[in-house]
Amino acid sequence: MTRFVLVTVVAWLLSAALSPSHVRAQTPPADPTAAFQDDVHASAGLTCVACHANETNGTYRSPLRTAIAPACATCHSDPTYMQRFAPQVRVDQWLQYQTSTHGKRMAAGDDRVATCTDCHGAHGVKRVTDSRSPVSPLNVATTCARCHGDTARMTLFNRTAAPPADWAASVHATALLKRGDTSAPTCATCHGSHGAVPPGVSSVANVCAQCHVREAELFRSSPKKVIFEAIGQAECLTCHGNHRIEPPADTLIGLDKGAVCAQCHDATGNGAGTIRDMRQALDRLSTAMSRADATITRAEHAGMLLDDGRAALRTAREHQVQSHVLVHAFAAGPFGEQATAGIAAAQRAQEAGDAALRELQTRRRGLAIATLLVLAFLVTLGLKIRSLSWTA
Amino acid sequence: MPTPLRAWLDERLPLADLIETLRHKTVPHHRHSIWYYFGGVTLFLFGIQVGTGALLLLYYRPSANEAYESVQFITARVPFGWLVRSIHAWSANLMVAGAFAHFFSVLFLHAYRRPRELTWVSGVLLLFLTLAFGFTGYLLPWNEVSFFATRVGTDIAAAVPLVGHGLVRFMRGGDDVTGATLTRLFGFHVAILPAVATTLVGLHLLLVQRHGMSVPPSVEQRAAEDPKTLGAMPFLPHFLLRDLFAWTAVLALMAGLATFYPWELGAKADAFAPAPAGIRPEWYFLWAFETLKYVPPRIAGIDGESLAVITMGVGAAAVLLLPFLAGRRSGARRLIVYLGAAMLGFMLFMTGLALTGGAR
Repeated sequence: MTRFVLVTVVAWLLSAALSPSHVRAQTPPADPTAAFQDDVHASAGLTCVACHANETNGTYRSPLRTAIAPACATCHSDPTYMQRFAPQVRVDQWLQYQTSTHGKRMAAGDDRVATCTDCHGAHGVKRVTDSRSPVSPLNVATTCARCHGDTARMTLFNRTAAPPADWAASVHATALLKRGDTSAPTCATCHGSHGAVPPGVSSVANVCAQCHVREAELFRSSPKKVIFEAIGQAECLTCHGNHRIEPPADTLIGLDKGAVCAQCHDATGNGAGTIRDMRQALDRLSTAMSRADATITRAEHAGMLLDDGRAALRTAREHQVQSHVLVHAFAAGPFGEQATAGIAAAQRAQEAGDAALRELQTRRRGLAIATLLVLAFLVTLGLKIRSLSWTA
Repeated sequence: MPTPLRAWLDERLPLADLIETLRHKTVPHHRHSIWYYFGGVTLFLFGIQVGTGALLLLYYRPSANEAYESVQFITARVPFGWLVRSIHAWSANLMVAGAFAHFFSVLFLHAYRRPRELTWVSGVLLLFLTLAFGFTGYLLPWNEVSFFATRVGTDIAAAVPLVGHGLVRFMRGGDDVTGATLTRLFGFHVAILPAVATTLVGLHLLLVQRHGMSVPPSVEQRAAEDPKTLGAMPFLPHFLLRDLFAWTAVLALMAGLATFYPWELGAKADAFAPAPAGIRPEWYFLWAFETLKYVPPRIAGIDGESLAVITMGVGAAAVLLLPFLAGRRSGARRLIVYLGAAMLGFMLFMTGLALTGGAR
């Protein structure tokens, strides 16, 4: 009985909030009935009256926007009810939402901020694992960008609309959208989904450390940790930025313009020597790898097999990645070992490539000699044939 | 040859008779004589195939888990393995080209006429066997391209009415291309086909020896008016040396191709990976592959692909029985030239279409 009353109220509120004149973050589908046919709630056996319970005359009003989240929560916060459909489904969305900036503003009566239907849709709701869902990993950034990339809308909240475009230019977006790596972070990975808030200066390292565990450990053990805390710098963000994270590159290290170290260090200060040594080691490793790769590729194109060379090159690449990671220790020792091991592996790859090219030359010289012998034989044969005559 | 050894051999083998026969054997010499050498070149390449194939067998392992690695080992680690594998692959392709050139030269010069009907039939069967060698050998490296091309190729057999699905299962050793297909095709490639081919080559050579080289009707007519236009070249040593010249030239070409364009191995086959773009069979099957792409799904209520496969089967049977269908009429011979030229033109056109993109 309690549920019936709740659903009735929810249905009325939903119909009121979805009135055409209201400012919405998400455009409702043109045909709600058709959209509902492909809705996760429809496939669970629910019908229109589950939300529009007291409106049986076929005219359903949009609910108030401030009432949508509480309405959804009547079912989605009820573990007993939700377990009927999915035993492991989470039921903390409503609690999370109340802690978010969206939830707090909505609770204060500001209905311009996002609520459930803005991200999930109203009548064609899909599971998050469904690639058609606006909140599936590949789509969630676009969904957030509808509001957070809208300058006019963000100006109302005194916020910049740059983050979605910045993220789209990041190494994370490349991994997710171009390589299809759904483990790459998107908006919700760092900000949370229902409890969306920007991570603070002190907690940002924890957010990055969800994936970059080793880098975080090294940083926390390094002398930089204390220094950054003292000057109020936000750890990872100081060097890497927040949304527009660049791919790891050797050029980030160094004292030249564009290098992140140069933001604080100059050529005369403490640590300049270490920074310079690190950069030189990375440059040497990178050059050795490029040279070996070019040699191996040349030999492969000529038909040689270079499994050993390719394996050595992979090892060099692993050492290069490790070197990039060990930069976060801000110490020359362990970094130098990795870089040296990488250079040695690149040299092994180079030697394998050079040996293959030498072998190729030997083959070609051998063939040239064989071809000359065959041609000499052909000429002799031709002369012999010409010298023979017969009577028809 | 030293006299005692020759005497010893003469006592046991009919060498003297053989040499005497060859000494008196002649080959017709006229303006189309050049085409006689393609049969010899194809035979030479068959010999290369047998030799290099036997060497590859020393290291090749015919199982889905080991085939690719064993070919990689042959190419990378076995001394001159790269050369042997490349020569095997290149000579296979040159052999198909040689067999087609021989086939069309015999067709256009009307060498299938009485009494050479069986020479023609054995030759056409050898051409089909050559194509079968190509098909069965293609999968053996177990690489990505050969795996998916074999899947597509064996799928075509399903269009054969009544027995299609059984035929596909027979060729694959199951419902899909698997390790069982590899083992099966390997068996065909190294045992069954060579046994049949060797027998047919023997029969073909015996019949060529029995009936001699055919002289084209146009040359015969001209010789009737002017006997100087048709000569007779001694087989020993004149023709044999020219044959040797052609073989040596082919050997030089093959060595050059093997060294400068070594046959690539590609990536290992993965049955669960999506088929890479641009999968297509070997060049000599391309014309049929491309033709099937243009066939409508239904023709007069009949499955289009089945109809195309039946048409190709009927065409192959007509080619095999050509001497018996053509008879002795000169009008029929003219028609055969036109049909042969149309067939060659069609095959070249469809192959060109497939190589330049064609139907997707």
